[in-house]
Amino acid sequence: MTATTEAAKALAAPPGPARRNRARDFRATRWGWAYSAPAVLVFLAFVIIPTGYTFYVSLWKWNALNPALSKFKGLGNYSRLFNATQPTFLSSLWHSLYFTGAMVVGGTAISLALALLLQRGGLLLNSTRVAVFLPHATPMIATSMIWVWIFNPKFGLADWFLHSLHLPTSQWLQSSASSMPAVIIYSLWHEVGFTTVVFLGGLAMLSNELSEAARVDGCSAWQEFWHVTWQQLRPVTVFVIAITAITSLQAFTQFYQLSSGGPAYATTTLSYLVYQEAFIFSDTGYGAALAVVLFAITVFFTLVRRRTAAGGESHALV
Amino acid sequence: MAGASRAGRWARRVLAVAIGVAFVFPFYWTVVISLGHPGEFSDFPPVLVPHWDWSNWSRAWHSAPWLRLFGNTILIASCTVVLCLITSLLAGFAFGVLRFPGRKVLTLVVLSVLMMPGTVLIIPDYVLANDLHLLNTYWIQIIPWGASVFGIFLVRQFFLTMPSEILDAAALDGASRLRFLRSIGVPMVRPALVIVAINVFLGSWNSFLWPVIMTNSSMESSSTVQPVEVGLSTFANAEGTDFPGLAAAVTFTTLPVMVFFLLLQRQFIRGALSAAGGVRG
Amino acid sequence: MGKRITAAAGLAAIALTATACAGGGASTPKSDNTGAKSSGSGTELAVPTGPVTITFEEAMTIGTLKPAMDKLVSDFQAKYPNITVKLQGDPDYATMYTKEKAEVQAGNAPTIGQAYESWADYFQSAGKLVPISDLAGTDTPAEMSTFYKGIQADMKLPDGKTWMWPFNKSVLILFANADLLAQAGQSEPKTWDDYATAMKAVSKNGVTGSTIDPGSATGAAFGTQWFEILARADGANLYDADGTPHLSDPGVVKALQYMKDLKDANALATGKNYPGETALGAQKGVFDISSAAGYGFENKTVGGKFKLDISALPSGPSGAVNELTGTNIVMFSGASADQKAAAWAFLKFITTPAEQAQWAATSGYLPVTSQAMTDPVMQAFVAKNPYETAAVSELDTAFTLPGFDWIFKCQGYEATAIQEVLENGKQPSDALNTAQGACTAAKAQG
Repeated sequence: MTATTEAAKALAAPPGPARRNRARDFRATRWGWAYSAPAVLVFLAFVIIPTGYTFYVSLWKWNALNPALSKFKGLGNYSRLFNATQPTFLSSLWHSLYFTGAMVVGGTAISLALALLLQRGGLLLNSTRVAVFLPHATPMIATSMIWVWIFNPKFGLADWFLHSLHLPTSQWLQSSASSMPAVIIYSLWHEVGFTTVVFLGGLAMLSNELSEAARVDGCSAWQEFWHVTWQQLRPVTVFVIAITAITSLQAFTQFYQLSSGGPAYATTTLSYLVYQEAFIFSDTGYGAALAVVLFAITVFFTLVRRRTAAGGESHALV
Repeated sequence: MAGASRAGRWARRVLAVAIGVAFVFPFYWTVVISLGHPGEFSDFPPVLVPHWDWSNWSRAWHSAPWLRLFGNTILIASCTVVLCLITSLLAGFAFGVLRFPGRKVLTLVVLSVLMMPGTVLIIPDYVLANDLHLLNTYWIQIIPWGASVFGIFLVRQFFLTMPSEILDAAALDGASRLRFLRSIGVPMVRPALVIVAINVFLGSWNSFLWPVIMTNSSMESSSTVQPVEVGLSTFANAEGTDFPGLAAAVTFTTLPVMVFFLLLQRQFIRGALSAAGGVRG
Repeated sequence: MGKRITAAAGLAAIALTATACAGGGASTPKSDNTGAKSSGSGTELAVPTGPVTITFEEAMTIGTLKPAMDKLVSDFQAKYPNITVKLQGDPDYATMYTKEKAEVQAGNAPTIGQAYESWADYFQSAGKLVPISDLAGTDTPAEMSTFYKGIQADMKLPDGKTWMWPFNKSVLILFANADLLAQAGQSEPKTWDDYATAMKAVSKNGVTGSTIDPGSATGAAFGTQWFEILARADGANLYDADGTPHLSDPGVVKALQYMKDLKDANALATGKNYPGETALGAQKGVFDISSAAGYGFENKTVGGKFKLDISALPSGPSGAVNELTGTNIVMFSGASADQKAAAWAFLKFITTPAEQAQWAATSGYLPVTSQAMTDPVMQAFVAKNPYETAAVSELDTAFTLPGFDWIFKCQGYEATAIQEVLENGKQPSDALNTAQGACTAAKAQG
């Protein structure tokens, strides 16, 4: 119906500046609110209002079962957070950054390398693409159960593999030194499929002329990659890094299933600590304060990234 | 590169095969264990050839109403995908094309959703769900996940890269916005929609803590609304040391997603290709 | 710059709105004074005659536990056809606790639910539990005196009142590969010193004496409880009745040193997901200290590959010491009068000797009343499983940690200390000093 009326108007419309106005009117409309409303309402109800609630709760020694019994603490939960010893806040923050750093650096490097290796077509390379993506298409709950067994120091595949290569075996999840690397290995296995495919997409968009020019100029394969391919891939890389950083900072399932944050807090990240304090120990106010801090850290990184990103990417995803 | 030697090509192939095998090996091993004799899983060195002993499968299969759970997962995942596509398309259009007061604020608000650690939201959300009488329903497993920041921004990205002439032409033709969205917008952002659909589907299939909290388990009942991952977790807790049974359960709960992906992988990779193009903007 | 300010203001506005909402909710709490009620009316609730449905949040969803649970319910419903017991099963205890909390918070609590002592304390401190005196008319109902002494003590919270009804209770027992033990020239260990000798003697050719789960910061496991038992068996006191921790006392350090010595002699390893049972079944381990209720699982894992020897735990200088495992049942305060009465009938019903015999013989948990032991079902079970007599005899003396909700955290600190020593090579006294400090802080925090 609207279409017909608007069409009728279009017929009647005089040529000239009015045309441009109509194009502008098409874009400028308060109906924008209506279009965004379904998504925004879902977020408002299930994320944003609960987030506000979390901020509020973080100022209390909150009795979740009976809020009337809660005691106002002001910033008490936050100061408690910095005085905690088991585990210390800094160690949890460090574990978060350790995991995130390894996932960002390792994940980006591996998926870029895989994408470069697999960028040509052909049945064989295509099958490998599928193989690499497959772990990402499987639920973490299911595959991490399998990996607990792979990492078993007595019966596991991982030690068998090292053993048959005459390499020193590891205690994997049973030692503070190796448990985080073990979780990272699992997470890389599960995650790089997705980022590899994104890089493959980026590679497919590259301009061939530039590469050819580079080759004509006598660039080595490495020089070509560094000066031509890598430069053109920058926006895709930024996207991959941003997505990996955010998901890694909030990663939970693998820590829950593989290591329960241990041994001795060696894999207790901020995100796992939030769960531990709020759910296991029912320390809702304290858990909320941790969540707020984690939120602030994520925002901080995003802002830093946005600031340092080149100006031309003002509309990059995150 | 043009002169890449035969040896180089072969090296590339061998490497690719090695990597592919490394990624798939844990699955292969799971299947081998699930088809092995009970007790074999703890042999060292590990058994690497299946013995085709299906007893683990039948034991695991009969321990939960897997078909019902599968059905639930597929229903929940499909509805979530449909809802997500609609909300992403509309909001992505609004943020990418339309100009309205408050747009920037709204964009940032949506973006901030990405940064809230999900685990803390569960309790307030549970209270809300209870107030809305949504506990133990499919709805509570669908609606809260019916909007995706990733989806919105991906669609927005596609609209941003769309030449403005198309819009102007549409406006001059007098097309309504909804009709424009349907007849020109959807085909243009289709690659983004494909990748959103698959991502949301996988995300829904992957969800665990949420359905556990929001629904009551009644594993034997034919009316359970729980998804298959929750059933798997129950089974794992029950049979923590029956590793062959667990391997069988992992195999048959994971297989459908794999088949789904294998069927759609071409679509997905094409979607990702163009999505990356969109990101480049 | 301007854009950012707008955005920040927008977010702040949203946060404020939410705050106002939450504040409004908090200022109108439901009055809930069940917790404040004292000793009881003197009259017991009568079983309702009209149709009633009660809900039971439980985790008996696995293995032989499920049929055992279903049997209790169907027997009860056969006796009281007007009452329906709806089971709300959860996959594991952590999930169950999360759900119970969420349900109570949403005013949607089940009628009754399984709970550890520390959980009960948490619910009770928020006034969300119904004391047994409200149901039985007295804080010490007649049935209670028939329960084993350790069980009776476990029904109370530190305030001295009865808040819980016993449910799936057990103690730890020792499973052993009798064949490997004999090969090493060892016999069933009677003391913890014997045990250390045997552990070291059997640890060769790829066999490790025992593999334990030390637990984690978020929960105890059998390895944590073994450590507590070792300390108590040596005369050490882990916690006072008011919860004051003594985790760095010499006796406690000695217990951890005992474990460290075994680890250093390659006689002890750590793992997760019932590692002892797996190693035992794979004939890579000789001993496993586990719950008596794990009998069915152990037996299935062993699968007749060797002779499985089951015995009571070895003893220490303080004699035979054991710790209660498993949960009790609590009643939540949202229930209607009829539901309370029906649930009370259910609680009493499941602890009758005949039902306890059935339950114990199917689930592997121990009967809470000695009267069940003379039931033919139980006698048949004992004839096949002689260890049962020894395990049950420990129910009179088995200890529990004081039921404060923060004790849960302290057990996590104990588990962390064990991990630090066994997995990271730290000194027992250092690790336990840290645990003591953290536990003291947790107690102060409340």
